[in-house]
Amino acid sequence: MRRTVQALRNMTVHPTASANAKIAVAGFRHFFPTADGPMQATDRVDLTIRAGEFVTLVGPSGCGKTTLLKALAGFIKPSEGTILCDGAPVRGPGRERGVVFQELAILPWRTVRRNIGHGLEIARVSRSERDRTVTRLIELTGLAGFEDRYPHELSGGMRQRVAVARTWAADPEIILMDEPFAAVDAMTRLTLQEELARLCAATKKTVFFITHSVDEAVFLGDRVLVMTRHPGRIKAVIEVPGRAAGRDWESFKADAGMQAITEQVLRLVREERGAAAASAAAVGEAHA
Amino acid sequence: MSDVTIAEPSPARRTLGRLAWQLLPLCPFALVLAAWAIYWTIARPPPATLPAPHDVADAVWELAARGDLATHVAASLWRLLLGTSLGVLTGVIGGFVAGLNRPVAAFLNPLIVFFNAISGIVWLPLVIGWLGIGTALAVFLIWNTVFFIVFQNTALGVQLVPQVYEQGVRALGGGRWETIRSVILPGALPYILTGLRSGLGFGWRALIAAELVGATTGLGQMIYGATEFHRSDIVIGGCLIIGTIAMAMDRWLLLPIERRTIARWGLVIDARKEQ
Amino acid sequence: MSAANALSERAGFRHQPALAAVRRLGGLKILLPFAALIAAWWAIHASADFSPQVLVSPLAVWRAFVHLVAYGVMAEYASTSLRMIGVATVLSLMVGVPIGFAVGVNRYAAHALEGFLRFLQGISGIAWLPLAIIWFGFTHATTLVIVIYTLIVPIIFNTMIGVRAIPPTYALALRSLGASPLRLVTDVYLPGALPSIVVGLRLGMGYGWRALIAAEMLVRRGGLGDLIFGARTFGQIDRIIAGMIVIGCLYVVIDRLIVQPIENLTIARWGVLRA
Repeated sequence: MRRTVQALRNMTVHPTASANAKIAVAGFRHFFPTADGPMQATDRVDLTIRAGEFVTLVGPSGCGKTTLLKALAGFIKPSEGTILCDGAPVRGPGRERGVVFQELAILPWRTVRRNIGHGLEIARVSRSERDRTVTRLIELTGLAGFEDRYPHELSGGMRQRVAVARTWAADPEIILMDEPFAAVDAMTRLTLQEELARLCAATKKTVFFITHSVDEAVFLGDRVLVMTRHPGRIKAVIEVPGRAAGRDWESFKADAGMQAITEQVLRLVREERGAAAASAAAVGEAHA
Repeated sequence: MSDVTIAEPSPARRTLGRLAWQLLPLCPFALVLAAWAIYWTIARPPPATLPAPHDVADAVWELAARGDLATHVAASLWRLLLGTSLGVLTGVIGGFVAGLNRPVAAFLNPLIVFFNAISGIVWLPLVIGWLGIGTALAVFLIWNTVFFIVFQNTALGVQLVPQVYEQGVRALGGGRWETIRSVILPGALPYILTGLRSGLGFGWRALIAAELVGATTGLGQMIYGATEFHRSDIVIGGCLIIGTIAMAMDRWLLLPIERRTIARWGLVIDARKEQ
Repeated sequence: MSAANALSERAGFRHQPALAAVRRLGGLKILLPFAALIAAWWAIHASADFSPQVLVSPLAVWRAFVHLVAYGVMAEYASTSLRMIGVATVLSLMVGVPIGFAVGVNRYAAHALEGFLRFLQGISGIAWLPLAIIWFGFTHATTLVIVIYTLIVPIIFNTMIGVRAIPPTYALALRSLGASPLRLVTDVYLPGALPSIVVGLRLGMGYGWRALIAAEMLVRRGGLGDLIFGARTFGQIDRIIAGMIVIGCLYVVIDRLIVQPIENLTIARWGVLRA
């Protein structure tokens, strides 16, 4: 019964996505059941991501970014709306949508090598081919020499490299990243961002990347989405031209055009933060 | 900058210090032994009350030489092995089923807590009617003791595996079984091992108690039999052997397992939080 | 342990209606599994023709229980056991905590004693029972000694750990405020070690209760262990099971309604001091 209703919902009039959309989100809204009743996590979200795009999403804390990502990944079922991936509705997590989490998600009981190869293991890829892919990724992500270490022996930055390598090794078409560098120290973070930009340019994936940092969003993204404060919806979409040339932080900082875009996005985000602070103060007074 | 020089201990002193540190745990044993020997020399109590240390040593030696000791130890260890394996197997399986299924866990929990409270020797009067005296009884009591501890710890461990690990493997295309195999099983291992460690300790104690009351061989029975003949030397010797075996199991069985698995992965949990 | 939080994350949405119904039962829902168990027991007993030597019906057990209570037998035996555990607990605390403190403050003493305490724990009170019987005969003193032994080791151990887990900066800070040694004990060491002491108490009482029952089975001088073992001699399975249930319930009551609240109180007030 529920499936019929869902199918009917899918057919109702929502802004339909263009034919070459890799990911199409329409009318997405989500509620969490709590002891005090359903809590709204996001307001209505519509967005499309084309194949090969790197889309970044910035927004204040609690706006529902992670909820959106989890729905895209298939970890949660949307309360409302549809999420289509290659035209088919998302029903659960799967190989075609790789995820890199913010917290440590690589398995502590596997070595770097075995973690990276895990997706291939699941796909029953032959040993020799698996080894080849893993070795290539270890080099690409700068993990050479650490193949047989366990995660607890690595620094935060290295662990995230392993996480990225693991996702890349499984060769999904879409990669979802939830503030993957948030817990890494500032210096390593810059390096990781540059490495990620290079990796994406070399492998042509469709990436959806959530972050707090405006700099990071503009540096990495072809398009930057700005989300409003809780409950969030997409407030603005900013195009960032010229990514194909590859990026490094020096030239990024020196480029006036890039800086202007960053200013613009920052202004949009600050509006939300200011509004969030104002409403929080109001709520505080109401409870006083 | 002050010009105080800090004297570094010489290498000789450092190794001596380290040696002393290693030997320190032997001090209480040595002290007790010394006190025992001194008391005995002064007070000369009757042998039934407190035999001399060397009497105990002689008694143990005699038992060993006659092969009786080996028989008893083998019988006890065999029962322990059987009971513990069964307990661990059923406890881990049960713990997984409960841990992966929240309503089942919630339903079973009060039962588990209650039966844990009466685990082991309390079952003896009932079960002795079903299984009689001997190995079956002992194995049941050990199984009983080990099962509930391992079950509780396993269920807890399964529930506490961070969900993000599972999500990560799902996003790699892993299904239910892959998640259980590569995430939940290793993830719950620290708790399973804690359960095993506690279970083994409890099981050993339950075994001795069981043998005291209802067995024809085994260390517990050896001690109890000696009581009737007032052979305190055998009794004390037996107790010391029991303690030694317990330590040996912990040190040479469990610790290496721990070291090769969870310690290697950096996942040792607080041993004080025994269930 | 945030097991509850971990569980709520894994909440199965499809179970919502069932869970809601159960939640409405409130605190009574804890009896549901037991009701199910008794129902299963009844069914099993009714289905096959069990000799009363092997299994009796829940009704028979209830009747035996009522009988024992009416004649004051249950009260007498239960109070003997409870009195024993109470006295043993108080004495163990009075002796064990100071020893634990004295040893805990000195890292060398702590290191020295740790192995010895583990060794004693491996031997378990019950193994010493035969020796205690030789020394004290079949009396209450024997039982008391064994239970105290069982209780005191975890108490000393955990007191030691509790003291050693206190960051030295606390004591230093108070000393620089001019605190006397006595002040340090009351204001830093005692509250600091208290959570760990309570954990030790809880563990000890778990071991101790079981050791008590076992000791009572052998010494046969009253107490619930004596009750169920005696019932064995007369083949009164109904009494045995009634006794077992009482033993379990009493332990759960003592643990959940007395000791655990104390543990929660200290942890809640002082935060997690043991890391």
